[in-house]
Amino acid sequence: MSEKKVYLQPVPVRIWHWLNALGIVTLCISGAQIRFPEYVAIFSSYRSAILLHNTAGIVVALSFSIWFFYYKIVAGNLADIYIPKKSDLTTGLFRQVVFYFFAYFFGAPNPHHATPENKFNPLQKSAYLGIMFVLMPIVSLSGILLMNVGPMREIVLLIGGLKILVAIHFLSCCSLSAFILTHVYLATLGSTPMAYLKPMWTGWEKVEDVKGACHENKQSYQQN
Amino acid sequence: MNRKYLGQKGGGGVKQVDLLLLAKHGIILVSFIATSVATGDRAEGADYSFGDGTSKNEACMSCHGNQAKVSGLNYVNPKNFGHTTHAKFGCVTCHDSITSNHPDAKAVVRTTGCGDCHGETLSQYSASIHAKNATCSGCHNPHRVNSSSEIAATEMNKQCAVCHDNYKITASHSRWLPQTGLHLGAIACVTCHSKAENYVISIYIAKRDGAEPESKPNLVTYEDLLKYSDGDNIQYLIDRNRDNYISLDELRKFNRDPSNKNIYLKAMMTPVKPTHSFQTFDNRWDCTFCHASGPEIMQVSYLSFPQQNGTFRQVAVEKGAAMDALRAIPNFYLMGSTRNGVLNKIGLLIIAGGMVMPVGHGFLRFLSRKNRL
Repeated sequence: MSEKKVYLQPVPVRIWHWLNALGIVTLCISGAQIRFPEYVAIFSSYRSAILLHNTAGIVVALSFSIWFFYYKIVAGNLADIYIPKKSDLTTGLFRQVVFYFFAYFFGAPNPHHATPENKFNPLQKSAYLGIMFVLMPIVSLSGILLMNVGPMREIVLLIGGLKILVAIHFLSCCSLSAFILTHVYLATLGSTPMAYLKPMWTGWEKVEDVKGACHENKQSYQQN
Repeated sequence: MNRKYLGQKGGGGVKQVDLLLLAKHGIILVSFIATSVATGDRAEGADYSFGDGTSKNEACMSCHGNQAKVSGLNYVNPKNFGHTTHAKFGCVTCHDSITSNHPDAKAVVRTTGCGDCHGETLSQYSASIHAKNATCSGCHNPHRVNSSSEIAATEMNKQCAVCHDNYKITASHSRWLPQTGLHLGAIACVTCHSKAENYVISIYIAKRDGAEPESKPNLVTYEDLLKYSDGDNIQYLIDRNRDNYISLDELRKFNRDPSNKNIYLKAMMTPVKPTHSFQTFDNRWDCTFCHASGPEIMQVSYLSFPQQNGTFRQVAVEKGAAMDALRAIPNFYLMGSTRNGVLNKIGLLIIAGGMVMPVGHGFLRFLSRKNRL
């Protein structure tokens, strides 16, 4: 099996991704303790859960800035990477859904091949667009407001009050958690369970050429 | 909930009066009125009324209610004094050594102490850490006492703020208490610093001007609200069906009404029955004392409406106002304890939705594993 490697995830992207991952997991656990203190008591005190939640929130907001700054300013391809093209929406989404929910079970290869210019499949693009441009800003901004209810009270009142703000924060956090469960699961769907995970850590992805494993899979699918 | 004995300003609220004491002073009162009613002066203030004892204080107030005649501590504001329980008992109940030749005879004008009526409160207070700092009258002016149901929750802290400077209090609490201003604006001092058995969410109406700090909200006045009600009873601004009971739906309607954009509901956690056992409890340093107290104790609330005489009147609010997801008291949220059950369920459903891929797809993936060998 001949193999070549492609440098898919540059250092700033990997720093952002893992800071984000660590931050969000910390936020979920400490957030659970903050909302359900009678049932969740992982951190020694409520106060420490809050301080950790605030700190992790700031880390995630800063890592979000790294992400934005890198893609927008340094690489300059934020829109290309994250905004689905017309063909993605007309045929790409459908093709990807068919792969995940049908063809995959029969051993078909993933119709999308990641390249540095076109990292995400159409389904990923649409999901990440929603996550990075809608959900993350909502959860971060509502979190920043909750950390500064006193000084930012006029904005809180404009939104409709503390309760509405908390509801927005909580429900968007739940949506983000749901995304993460799906995201982590889908990350194991490569040719091996670790195939997609490794490049996120090392930066390099193995690309099997047409004579490689994918091709064999395709043949077995066709035989079926 | 019974709030009859609340007495943040008025002391412990011990309403039993020594009948013997009253009888003794009754004799003095009669002779005193007989000599001084003849002056014919009336006290100032249109709403001047002494409730049960309508006329018995008028003789005193003809001078002591008039700033032109007396000055300093001798002046008693009829508006503040008129509605108090002290006024109903009558001036001479406390000022029992007054004689018929007052004011010519410069006698000691008070021999009765607060403890004669408020004995239990006094002994409770004397045992507390605050006793060495102030006497009863250090905090309470007996001529303008209100029971705690007659004041808005935020006024509870005003009494403390007379000595305890807001700036210093904020600074000292901020050493350990996150979001200090927010906490100080939403909890009465006595909630943490005095012994109390149960707590209630006391709602009041605040005024927006954009400049007031979170810890010192601007209370709306009776006159302010009259403008909103066009002269109608101000309670009906919220209590729309006029049944002297405020439902969650009425609260939501008030909050949604765009004409109310410059007034809004605020709430504080206050003791149901404040006591004078002042101390700093160790368990109050632990956030979970409030934040893990569970939704059950957050159910009861009252709304205080300002009255014409400067006091407030509490109206009962439907159970669960503090627990409502969005609109009942939109600006009161006690993390951990006022979480809304419906939102919890929606959140759980969303997270369960996130399990569809790992569980559903994962199951089919397992079954079809041979196809990918």
